[in-house]
Amino acid sequence: MKIDSSAPVVRFSEVNFAYEDGITVLENINFSLEPGEFACVVGPNGGGKTTLLKLILGLLKPVSGSISVLGQPPGRAQAQIGYVPQFSKFDAGFPVNVLDVVLMGCLRRSFFWGRYSDEQVEKARRALAAVGLQGKDGRAFAGLSGGQKQRALIARALVSEPRLILLDEPTASVDVAGTEQFYNMFEELNQRFTILMVSHDVGFISSRVKSVLCVRKTLQIHPVSELTGEALQNIYGVDVSVIRHDHRCSDKGHICPHS
Amino acid sequence: MSAFIRDLLELEFLQNAFLAGILCSIASGVVGTYVVLKRITYIAAAISHCILGGLGAARYFSVVYDLPWLRPVYGAIVTALASALLIGFISLRAREREDTVISALWAVGMAVGVLFIFKTPGYNEDLMSYLFGNILMVSREDLYLIAGLDLLVVGLSVSFYYQTVAVCFDEEFARTRGVAVEFYYLLLLCLTALTVVLTVSVVGIIMVIALLSLPVAIASRFFDSVWKIMIAATLLGMTFTLSGLALSYSPNLPSGALTIVIAGAAYFLTLAWSTFSRPTLAKSAAANTDS
Repeated sequence: MKIDSSAPVVRFSEVNFAYEDGITVLENINFSLEPGEFACVVGPNGGGKTTLLKLILGLLKPVSGSISVLGQPPGRAQAQIGYVPQFSKFDAGFPVNVLDVVLMGCLRRSFFWGRYSDEQVEKARRALAAVGLQGKDGRAFAGLSGGQKQRALIARALVSEPRLILLDEPTASVDVAGTEQFYNMFEELNQRFTILMVSHDVGFISSRVKSVLCVRKTLQIHPVSELTGEALQNIYGVDVSVIRHDHRCSDKGHICPHS
Repeated sequence: MSAFIRDLLELEFLQNAFLAGILCSIASGVVGTYVVLKRITYIAAAISHCILGGLGAARYFSVVYDLPWLRPVYGAIVTALASALLIGFISLRAREREDTVISALWAVGMAVGVLFIFKTPGYNEDLMSYLFGNILMVSREDLYLIAGLDLLVVGLSVSFYYQTVAVCFDEEFARTRGVAVEFYYLLLLCLTALTVVLTVSVVGIIMVIALLSLPVAIASRFFDSVWKIMIAATLLGMTFTLSGLALSYSPNLPSGALTIVIAGAAYFLTLAWSTFSRPTLAKSAAANTDS
């Protein structure tokens, strides 16, 4: 991955992040994400994957270094990012229907006293169709299956017509057949959006995504060919069994941790 | 029961009590829905116990320094808002040990209240009515306060319905959309504080949390949108407080306690009924396949 680029969607240069208790989570992170990219962030739990997403969203501020998102400081670019959290952290019984969940993507800072317009409702229906949930708009969100909930949350991110979609472990609670369908959908969405997702099932995702970022506190650029069992063991710090699928990484290589 | 209806038509204190039950149920149905959905019942309980400090202090200064305008409810309102804002800032800023701070406020507020009540000259029957409520003591002025609160709560909930629901559902996503999450969270805590103060006259400090949460818990088993639950919880709250008032009148029982027993019985009956007699949301979700 090149550090210099004309208009990267996301650019980190020399970013460090630590929580208030002083534990360093990310150290000297450098990378840039080009328009049209479909990148996947992998790494062990606690390795800083979600922190990386929150830095891009501007929900957390780096201790040092600079981050630019769509040419702006992270907080300013929020409106152009579609964030998809994991559905599993939600209250499973929350009383809201699918259409209202998707419409939450239309909320704005200036949305005082407001009601959703017909146009926004129409957009929400189109977003539901784009994730394969057409006709489910009146259903209770709580009554959907895990995969359907995750799709509804993706629709909620799409409805604001973002330039970048951030997905936090979108396939964490989806079975293998469902995961395959999800990647088909992501490939389709990638024709319109730049996608950055976090995942820990490395072997599977790397056959579909264009580039892989490995995060475990630090990042270091490795050529593609080094994503072997040994490299993964370095990322995860323990023995991992790797099932190699047909590997296809970007010609720019991918980023692995220096550990 | 017939004695209750006959007296209701004649006695002003009973009419006040009747209206208090109806008006309080509106605020507690709406605010209680937010409290349950945002999972802040513990915070609401802490605020309700804290206000004993304000009640006690206001009454002490009113009696000792002869300030008849200083009604205990004003002390309660100030304490409730202050503790709500304090808890709000703590839970927004500090991520850990939030529950310890809340527990400390809870206990210290009560302790301060007990000390003031102990040192207040005169007969101390008020302590019991603060703790367990006395709907028969509600005055006309109290009713105006409760009606004003209802207008505020309903007005704000209608105005900011979608934002508040989004904040309860997924605070982090709402923040990425530019919604002022902190503002709505503190607003919600302040509305909770005011609702708690005025509901205390109906069921008392100790039981107010039941009146906020039980009608919502029952309503959310039958309705799947926030505004429907608010309306249903309001109607249920009215049913519980009014039946508590009516049934306690002739046998001369404490109406607050009877109200809570009725609400609790209704809750457990609903729980049992929905467990045994119809598919729950969880079961229907499991039967649902990916499409």
